[in-house]
Parts: sequence; structure tokens; C-alpha cells
Amino acid sequence: MQVGFRSVNLSHKKERQNSGSRQNFEIWSWFFMRISGLVLIFLALIHFSMTHIFTDVTQTTVSYVAKKWANPLWRVFDWLLLTLGLLHGTNGVRFILDDYVRNAKFRAGIKATVYLISFLLFLLGTVTIVTFKGSIA
Amino acid sequence: MPQSTRYRGKTGQWAFILHRVTGFLIFLFILLHVVDVAMVNFPSTYNAIHRLYGNVLLRLFEVGLLFALLFHSLNGLRVVMIDFFPESIRNERMFFISVLAITSLLTIVGGVIILKPFFTGSVG
Repeated sequence: MQVGFRSVNLSHKKERQNSGSRQNFEIWSWFFMRISGLVLIFLALIHFSMTHIFTDVTQTTVSYVAKKWANPLWRVFDWLLLTLGLLHGTNGVRFILDDYVRNAKFRAGIKATVYLISFLLFLLGTVTIVTFKGSIA
Repeated sequence: MPQSTRYRGKTGQWAFILHRVTGFLIFLFILLHVVDVAMVNFPSTYNAIHRLYGNVLLRLFEVGLLFALLFHSLNGLRVVMIDFFPESIRNERMFFISVLAITSLLTIVGGVIILKPFFTGSVG
């Protein structure tokens, strides 16, 4: 395809702008992974030890959840774990896809699918935490 | 390129691979886990799923999850430390071995607690 001088210039300018904002995004992404990672160490390990070590997994019944979520602070705790976990995980999967999926169109398609699944699960998790009204049996 | 930030392979490469694999597995587990917790509004389904988690195969899976969480957490600390204090890369190998040692120790302790009820028959 023949490309005129003008359009080459324009596309170069656009590319420069894109790579600038992309670099900026990657710096924030790098920073976010470190900070969310540090927070998640506490959230995830406390959550795991409560539901697998100090309580046997078979005892984490609906009434266990009802007792825990009777305190709104535990709902905030679990919502933070959900949100940071999904963001940290989705961004991590983005790195993996950038590294191993070479075909640009295919990569964009898989990324869009992963983002959609993460977003839907974020909605499902948020609705579950906010609307749960189980009584302490 | 400054000496302190040069990529050198070896232990760092293994740490990198294990970090990816454990991170990806934890992400897959989160996807499953959000769905199973969403069943909390359907108590009989929710309780049935959590009885299933008491099965020995799924208990072994939980021990694997514990290993992945511990390794990803501790190795993440190692990564953060090397990023913010680049001189510490000199002791990179020692840190990686410490990460593996602490991860293994805590996985064994946690693993015994997780698997014990199945063998004593007290639950599940």
C-alpha cells in the first residue's frame, strides 16, 4: 500500500503519542502490582488461614458465612480481596498473554475475553457480598 | 546497563517461572471461587459444594493452593525488595532459597492441618 508523506508523518506522531501514554500506563501497572501485591499478602493469607487452617473447609457453611458477614467490616475485607485479587490477577494474565501470544488479533481477542470474564465475576462477587441476607442458623 | 540490574538467569529464572505458574493457577482458582461463593444465596447447593471440598483430592488441591499462595507472596516480597533496593540482587540466590524453604515449611505445617481431618475421619 502506498502511503503519502503526510499520512506517514501523522501516523508517526500518533504512534509516539500512543507509546507515551502506553509507557505511562505500564509504569502505573508496575506500581499497582507492587502495592496491591503487598496488600494481598495480608488479605489472602488471613482469608486462607481462616477458612482452611483455623476452620476446616467442610465447616465453612452458609451459617459460617452469615456469622462472618454479620460484621460489615468482613464484607469490606472480602470485597477488597475480590477487587484487588481480580485486578492483580487480570493484569498478571495480561503480561503472560503479551509474552506468549504472538498473533496480535488473537491476543486482542483473548485479552478482551479475559477482561470480560473478570468484570462479570467482579459484578457477581460484589452483588453476592452486598445482597447476602442469610440469618445465623 | 548497570551491573545491578543485569538479567542473569539461573535461580532468578526459576523464580520467574514459578511466580508466573503459581500466579496463573491462583487466578484460575479465584474465578472458580467467586462462582462457588455466589452459591451462598442457594444454601443447599453451597453446602453441598463445601462438603465436596472435604474430599481428599480437593484437600490435596487446597494444599497446592497454599503452596502457590505462599510462594507467590514470599517471592513477590523478594521481587519488590530487589526493585526498591537493587543492591540486594547480590544476595538473590540466598533470598530465593529462603523463599523456597519458608514456603515448603509452611506448606508442610498447613498441609498436615488440612489433610488430618480426612485421615482421622473427624470430618468430611
